[in-house]
Amino acid sequence: MTPIGISPTNALSEAAKMGTKVLTGGRLLNAMRDVDVQIATTPKDLVWSQDKVSLFRFRPLAEQLIRVPVLICYGLVGRWTMTDLQEDRSLVRNLLKLGLDLYVVDWGNPSRADRYLTLDDYILGYLDGCVTEIAKRAGVKQVNLLGVCEGGVFATAFAALKPERINTLTLTITPIDFHADMVEERLGHGFINVWTRSISAEDVDRLIDANGNLPGEFMAAIFNQMSPMRSLLKYNLDLLDIADDEQRLMNWLRMEKWIADRPDHPGEAARQWLKDLYQQNKLVRNEWELDGRRVDLGNIRMPVLNVYAKDDHIIPPATSRALGPKVGSSDYTELALAGGHIGVFVGNRSQTLFAPAVASFVAKHDRTAA
Amino acid sequence: MNPLDYTKAFTDFWTAQGDALKKAQEQAGKTLEEGMQALASGAMPKMPGLPTDLSAGVAELTQAGQSIMELWSAATAMCGKLATSLPATAGSLDATVEATFRKIADPRSWLAGTGEMDDVLGRMAEGPRFADLWEVERLYARVLQAWTNLRRRGLEHNAVVLEAWLQAGQSFTARLAGHTGTDTPPLDAKAALALWTETANQQLLEMQRSEPFLQTQAAMIRATTELRLVQQDLVEHVGKQYGFPTRSELDDVHRTVTGLRREVRVMRRQFSSAVAAPQAAARGQAPTPHTARRSNARRKAATT
Repeated sequence: MTPIGISPTNALSEAAKMGTKVLTGGRLLNAMRDVDVQIATTPKDLVWSQDKVSLFRFRPLAEQLIRVPVLICYGLVGRWTMTDLQEDRSLVRNLLKLGLDLYVVDWGNPSRADRYLTLDDYILGYLDGCVTEIAKRAGVKQVNLLGVCEGGVFATAFAALKPERINTLTLTITPIDFHADMVEERLGHGFINVWTRSISAEDVDRLIDANGNLPGEFMAAIFNQMSPMRSLLKYNLDLLDIADDEQRLMNWLRMEKWIADRPDHPGEAARQWLKDLYQQNKLVRNEWELDGRRVDLGNIRMPVLNVYAKDDHIIPPATSRALGPKVGSSDYTELALAGGHIGVFVGNRSQTLFAPAVASFVAKHDRTAA
Repeated sequence: MNPLDYTKAFTDFWTAQGDALKKAQEQAGKTLEEGMQALASGAMPKMPGLPTDLSAGVAELTQAGQSIMELWSAATAMCGKLATSLPATAGSLDATVEATFRKIADPRSWLAGTGEMDDVLGRMAEGPRFADLWEVERLYARVLQAWTNLRRRGLEHNAVVLEAWLQAGQSFTARLAGHTGTDTPPLDAKAALALWTETANQQLLEMQRSEPFLQTQAAMIRATTELRLVQQDLVEHVGKQYGFPTRSELDDVHRTVTGLRREVRVMRRQFSSAVAAPQAAARGQAPTPHTARRSNARRKAATT
């Protein structure tokens, strides 16, 4: 007996379904244009810019209930638009509806001309500029920082070096102990950690010297290695599965649009990111230096909310949770969300959990700021 | 077409592909080796500083090529075995699943699917080609040497990947064997694909954490970087000869601009603090502190 069997009746029935699916899907895809696939559509205004960095303020969607503004700080790998992917899956919209005054920093598209920008520049230069501008506009001394992934490391370092400027610190899927992936050793989790440890510091130096920046497509290739079979099925079966469902197809295309937006990581900043943090793990050891000052996590005395994804294969939970014992704050809370790295922002369950938790957290500490 | 004929045609095709690739690889290695021997034996003019170990690099490349050819033959045989398990059904969802299955069970997709890094590295490294061999022999030879090394490292890495796919195939075949008894119904195409996906994914993830995978990938990245650097040396050389602005000159400018921007940021902050201090004092408040100092560390990074 053959191990794989297909009955003629089922085959005919499936053939009919298939024909309809392909026709509908083809019609939908033909009718769509790239301009129809919009992400990050929540209205916002440019309020400050410096070099390639832009600070936007979102227009309110509800009465402002929390006085101290929140600044979303994404990293240089990928773009903040993930937090506002689509109307019904948008951390940005959810926070605005809960009465927050919300800002986001966009790092722009670094080119070879930006290869000498360091993390010092981004954190103590541009991010500092954003915080100053927001505080001035809101008439407050401190702002709430919400860091995401590499941006969470920026926020952490800023909060440690300039604690007097930060009211609360919210971190999302943020690595703190870059070697804590070895705690669990889950298959398919923490490959970036494993990979960076498999190359030498000299390899990193030569890679940056040769390319100037860390190309976005290079990081994308590393990410894709983390789910090897997806790349083989993504554009055939996965796409076919949703081809005749306009809403699901549009959701899929929006995600594709976000994935395709892969800015290059400025070279010197990438050198620090890969060597100081991924390889030498200086942040959790309080050995990392920016602008000649040591980033001491014990200086983080403001309230901290640390959000991580239970099945995050890019930033394994243990790498995020390592912050808890290190901060100087007595008000430290963790929020574990179901799903993976991206699911935190676009997952159905996250829509009802994540934003309310952040809003409640900053609201609780709002009176202490102004 | 009779499903049996189809399967036979399918496996014949793979075998032919494997043979053709093997022959092409052998021919390419032979041609390159002959060229290198001619170069080393003085058939072409020798230049001071010309690398003398090009033939050794070619021998290693050929060896790496032979290893992967052996694996390729095994992969072809394995895929023939997988293909015979799958009957053809035209015009249905199952047929689409089957087609996908066949596609991802094809050894070419095994290397393509996990070879994205290879592709990216290749694109990063493979800059313009230079026909003007006779003016820049030494640099060109270095480029050729680095290219040969990159190809060798690529083959070595692909061999590790191909071996993992073969193990996945063997594991899948063993799991399929559990569905041939009278108590266990045969899988439909979709279930078979799911089983294959799960099996292969597991195997590939294990492979990615293995020392051979990580070591060969690191060697490939190193080789890519080296190729790019020697290509840049060549371009610099040509650029200087013809008075074109070079990459290193542009980098100098960018470094200077980045440094100047830093200084401007510092001065802006100092200015803001200077303005804010009297105003805050008048209100009886302490000004918002701004750290204006720049570090040696940053200056050091800027001059690296």
